[in-house]
Amino acid sequence: MSEQDNLNATLAAATCALLGTALAGPVHAAEAPAWSFDSSLLYYGESDDRVQDISGAIAAKRDFGDARSLNLTLTADTLTGASASGATALDRPQTFTSPSAKKTYTTPAGDIPLDDTFLDTRFALDASWTQPIASLYTFSAGAGFSTEHDYTHIGANLGLSRDFNKRNTTVSAGVAWSQDDVNPEGGAPVPLSQMLDVGNNSNKRGTDSKNVIDFLLGLTQVINRTTVLRLNYSYSDASGYLTDPYKILSVVDPVTGDTIARTPPTGLTGPDGVYRYESRPDSRVKQSLYAEVKHAFGAPVLHVALRYMTDDWGIDSQTAEARLRWPIGAASFIEPQLRYYTQSEADFYRSSLINGQAVPQFASADFRLGKFDALTAGLKFGHRTSGGSEWSARLEYYQQSGEVPGNQIIGNQSRREQYPDLDAVIVRFNYSFGL
Amino acid sequence: MKVLCLAVLVLALSGCTAVQPWERDVLARPDMSLDANPLDAAIDDHIYFSKEASSGGRGFGGGGCGCN
Repeated sequence: MSEQDNLNATLAAATCALLGTALAGPVHAAEAPAWSFDSSLLYYGESDDRVQDISGAIAAKRDFGDARSLNLTLTADTLTGASASGATALDRPQTFTSPSAKKTYTTPAGDIPLDDTFLDTRFALDASWTQPIASLYTFSAGAGFSTEHDYTHIGANLGLSRDFNKRNTTVSAGVAWSQDDVNPEGGAPVPLSQMLDVGNNSNKRGTDSKNVIDFLLGLTQVINRTTVLRLNYSYSDASGYLTDPYKILSVVDPVTGDTIARTPPTGLTGPDGVYRYESRPDSRVKQSLYAEVKHAFGAPVLHVALRYMTDDWGIDSQTAEARLRWPIGAASFIEPQLRYYTQSEADFYRSSLINGQAVPQFASADFRLGKFDALTAGLKFGHRTSGGSEWSARLEYYQQSGEVPGNQIIGNQSRREQYPDLDAVIVRFNYSFGL
Repeated sequence: MKVLCLAVLVLALSGCTAVQPWERDVLARPDMSLDANPLDAAIDDHIYFSKEASSGGRGFGGGGCGCN
């Protein structure tokens, strides 16, 4: 080894000692893997034969040095199972026309109606590039595409950040735009039109679309040697077709609360009650404030995140999440997590429409626009191998419990379940490695 | 709400001391990165986007899915 090499090695070791890192020899940029991969396999399963999802994702990062990097993410999702249609439960079985208008399906007496024709496969590809553009400035640009049999999305985003205060403070701004095309099974129903018999698509239009533009302002602040904070404000403006083409509302008797019965014409099959397709406004503005803190208590790390969101549909939500990463030995860790979420209902949320009253301009019985609380509890175990790759397994339980506003429950509805709890188990396996 | 946020911000920043580059041993650890598990976070966002009326906050609002 030459004298120059010896000097380099000594300087590198001294630098490592100052930085607290454990590298034994001189650092060469070429030693870092050029490509690093992060892969994930996920199972999401709801109880009572509702939605099941198996999803795989792989993210590849190519490091070009000088803080320039390319990120590519490919995701595939397969959804099966049944999803609540929005119709209310009844003491008798209920028959509905499927979204394609090619057949009917029947819900047993007393059950919340679920549409069991739910089946979809989704592929998504995202790419982004990050690089410094001047001293203290970092620029990023990204694009994304996803496709399902009834939905196509394209999107793009730009971001810029600047470091201040010896890089203890970072201010960032970003903008994202997307264009989504909706091509529902059987066509997009005319909002609030009545569900028709099999083979009758006269209340369906073809395709529709929506645009979303998002703005994000962020501040990341190093609080001290062991604590870092991030604050974000985001503004999202969606316009276009925001209705769910598969959701319906029952039209009910103003006294009994039971769905108005209907008999399909002779020779036809179709719904045995009166149901209308939902209708949502064609614009939605959401704003949110997000704060997260990471703090190291020696080796363990606590992560806490809070979010407040409000929109012009009348929905307010609060989210709180905490994770504690606790090392086990030198190479493993466990991470318990807890998340609580609560939201108020949209102004136009209705569990049903009342027969004889004027049909409102907007109405939806989608439980996701109702008032509910949700709790997630989970545990992750991770291990870093001697080769430098890392795997982890995570098990979570997710529960939603909601309620229909008391003044919307009519007659017999009070003795039937109106807002079913949702229980889901989420299992995922991650594996990260470099090449 | 704005006043509350401003108060939180001022309080948070007033407690800061400039951490020097050679004092970043803990902050430089991968588990201290705020973006430590981007794929995990993206999957979380996707699940909650499809089941709840809120999305985004940590990053852009998500979407690109007919599930909501």
